[in-house]
Amino acid sequence: MPKIFIKNKKEAIEYIPDRDLLQLLLENDIFVDNPCNGKGLCGKCKIRLLEGNLPAISATEERLLKKEEISSGIRLSCLVVPQEDITIEILQKERKHEILTKGYIPEFDFHPAISKEIYEIEKPTLENQKAFEDALCNALGIEELDWQLLQKNEVTYGQITGVFHGEELIGIEAGDTTDTLYGMAIDIGTTTVVAALVNMKTGEELATASIINPQKRYGLDVLTRITYGLENPKDAKEKLQHAIVNAINQMIGELCSKAKIDRNNIYEIVVAANCTMMHFLLGIDATSIGKSPYAPAFVKAKNISAMDIGIKAAAATRLYCLPSVSAYIGADIVAGAYVCQLHKKEGNHLFIDIGTNGEIVLSSDGRLLSCSCAAGPALEGMNISSGMRAAEGAIEDVKISDDGIELKVIGNLEPIGICGSGILAAVKELLRIGLVKKDGGFIKKEKLEESDYRYDMLQLDGIKREFVLKKSPGELLITQGDVRQVQLAKGAILSGFYALLKQANIQMNQLHQVMIAGQFGAHLPAESLVGIGILPQEVEDKLVYVGNSSKTGAYMALMSTEVKKEIEELAKQMGYMELGASEGYERLFTRCLLFSN
Amino acid sequence: MSVSKEELIKRLSDGVVNMEEEDVIEVVNEYLEAGYPAFDAIMEGLVDGMNRASQLYEEEEYFVTDVLLCSDAMYEGLSVLRPHLPASEAEKVKPKGIIGVVEGDTHDIGKNLVKIMLETAGFDMVDLGRDVPLQSFVDKAKEENASFVCMSTLMTTTMGGMKTVVELLREAGIREQVKVVIGGGPISKKYADTIGADGYSPNAVEAVKLVKNLLDIA
Repeated sequence: MPKIFIKNKKEAIEYIPDRDLLQLLLENDIFVDNPCNGKGLCGKCKIRLLEGNLPAISATEERLLKKEEISSGIRLSCLVVPQEDITIEILQKERKHEILTKGYIPEFDFHPAISKEIYEIEKPTLENQKAFEDALCNALGIEELDWQLLQKNEVTYGQITGVFHGEELIGIEAGDTTDTLYGMAIDIGTTTVVAALVNMKTGEELATASIINPQKRYGLDVLTRITYGLENPKDAKEKLQHAIVNAINQMIGELCSKAKIDRNNIYEIVVAANCTMMHFLLGIDATSIGKSPYAPAFVKAKNISAMDIGIKAAAATRLYCLPSVSAYIGADIVAGAYVCQLHKKEGNHLFIDIGTNGEIVLSSDGRLLSCSCAAGPALEGMNISSGMRAAEGAIEDVKISDDGIELKVIGNLEPIGICGSGILAAVKELLRIGLVKKDGGFIKKEKLEESDYRYDMLQLDGIKREFVLKKSPGELLITQGDVRQVQLAKGAILSGFYALLKQANIQMNQLHQVMIAGQFGAHLPAESLVGIGILPQEVEDKLVYVGNSSKTGAYMALMSTEVKKEIEELAKQMGYMELGASEGYERLFTRCLLFSN
Repeated sequence: MSVSKEELIKRLSDGVVNMEEEDVIEVVNEYLEAGYPAFDAIMEGLVDGMNRASQLYEEEEYFVTDVLLCSDAMYEGLSVLRPHLPASEAEKVKPKGIIGVVEGDTHDIGKNLVKIMLETAGFDMVDLGRDVPLQSFVDKAKEENASFVCMSTLMTTTMGGMKTVVELLREAGIREQVKVVIGGGPISKKYADTIGADGYSPNAVEAVKLVKNLLDIA
């Protein structure tokens, strides 16, 4: 069998030459960026061929790669099927991402579903050979014990601690263990997973951990992962579920060792996630979410045994999954709306989580109406020619003046790409200095005097105009196509915003507050959001940042049965509006594409 | 003072490029009152304007939505001019195409743009709309005796439908008679090749060139 050698890696990959290089690498746990999951679209799965031969370069590669890349041996791994021994270089590294773990939290009373109680169990004697079950039932005042509890727990006498989930006994521990009562709150995002270990006795958050969702190898966005399921009907559900469950188990391990506690003392895990991630977690078919009419398999809250899906904590650990509203208004948004207490607010409040999908919830005197806008991945740095996720080396802010271009780079490194907040800042600046017009087009270079400081910033690629963000070597550009992507994203979100207000018959000046939730929004200053017109000018001084409200909602549900009930009620009450089906939406969207309010 | 035919035609073309629906209607009426032939106003005025708009789109000067607004102006003018076409022109047979967004997907802006560009280029387009049941592409192609089928989707989850349509066309025994062209966000040349479609186009302007190429129309 031929082999693939990888620079700086000892072991070679032996392969059967029938699949593309990307698949071969991913199967062998070699990380290659692949936002479109090998469809020959995004042009990000670059590798460099060092030795050996690959099939001739395809037209698609010629279109997606720069000339100098091609001449230095760069290829797109999803478009080449190797046939012989080759040596390649992997170009990307898994980079450190910044993940938001904190957020605003309202006051509430602690009444977790899990509680512990101490009992005295009478030791048997020769004269009184009472069974352990009977002694325990006596002490607890119950009729009989679940046989599985007998199976899973040691027979122990004297002082014991009973672990309860509501009224139900779920565990028996020797001695007084009332001080060791832990739980976890998890937010599963399409991109990142955040978990907190909580002392349920005090409500204290002991430690947090965050990782990139390992399902990303099956595609970066929800639809690509659902498509992976369509293409691999046999085992996709299991693979997607294993990936996330393994990640949770890994985080449990990390958190327990950080806080120096035993994983057997974690009794409940509460999860908030978008609707698709919740399906994947429970191993439930998510296909229907990906197609019109977008009806999911389930939206209700689930309260199950964590062990049933392979989570390794205690035998009795409960898993509570928060409820969703619809395919595109998931439990993460329900949790966020609850954390912001939208259902109890007087006046008009808007909650918005900006990402690949922008979800918006409008509360008018506590009545809730939601919609979801397909903003596309541009705001996360994808679909952008020099785009990347917010990781080390990404430009996160741009300032342009007659002194030149000032770049702020994550980790203060040499810039290698631009992330979502960076692309927004750049477009905002281009609009401000007049290089990009309100309709999104670059101005013509002829219109600038050669002495103008902006003259050298604009260059032509054939007839297409582009902005030089960073000069060669390592040239970074903002193309007209990039500006269009931002325009589409902004149009999608802004039109959702207006459509909701119109549906609820509310004027812009009647809005009291706009709450920005989520990982991405937290990195967007008001001047960018309003400067680009993702949000209307009128709300600039009404913005409040609420952080990772999804995880906060999971935490609150973990700490209170009452909260769980209220969240379930909130999910039922929340209305949902399908934008595509609403009257005159296309016109509204068209108007919202303009870079002016 | 009467305005020359050329002057009016130029104003029609400009009206389309500048997305001025009302101007176009006004000029069309003036043109007809002066007794000039409707055919020239369509071809040299409206269609010329639309071609200029698509040129601007190709140069990235215009965006999808700009082109849609241009086409609004063109269609408004067309609806007034059409009844004035001589019967011979109105009944002229043009190559026919079926177009639609495949089942499961409701995103149709891109499809609309492709349809407009193809109509402007002189094709007779039958628009099945969005979320179109796959069998409908085949049935309509047969019924209309179409020479090509255009399909689009924005979602990876629904792109598999395109493959099914290619298979259904084959089963219906008309695969050889129709060219299949596909496009949309997740679609690529690679995908078109995989499912045995005749062509892929990354945008609406390319789609016109592609169809003309496949049908051997200069």
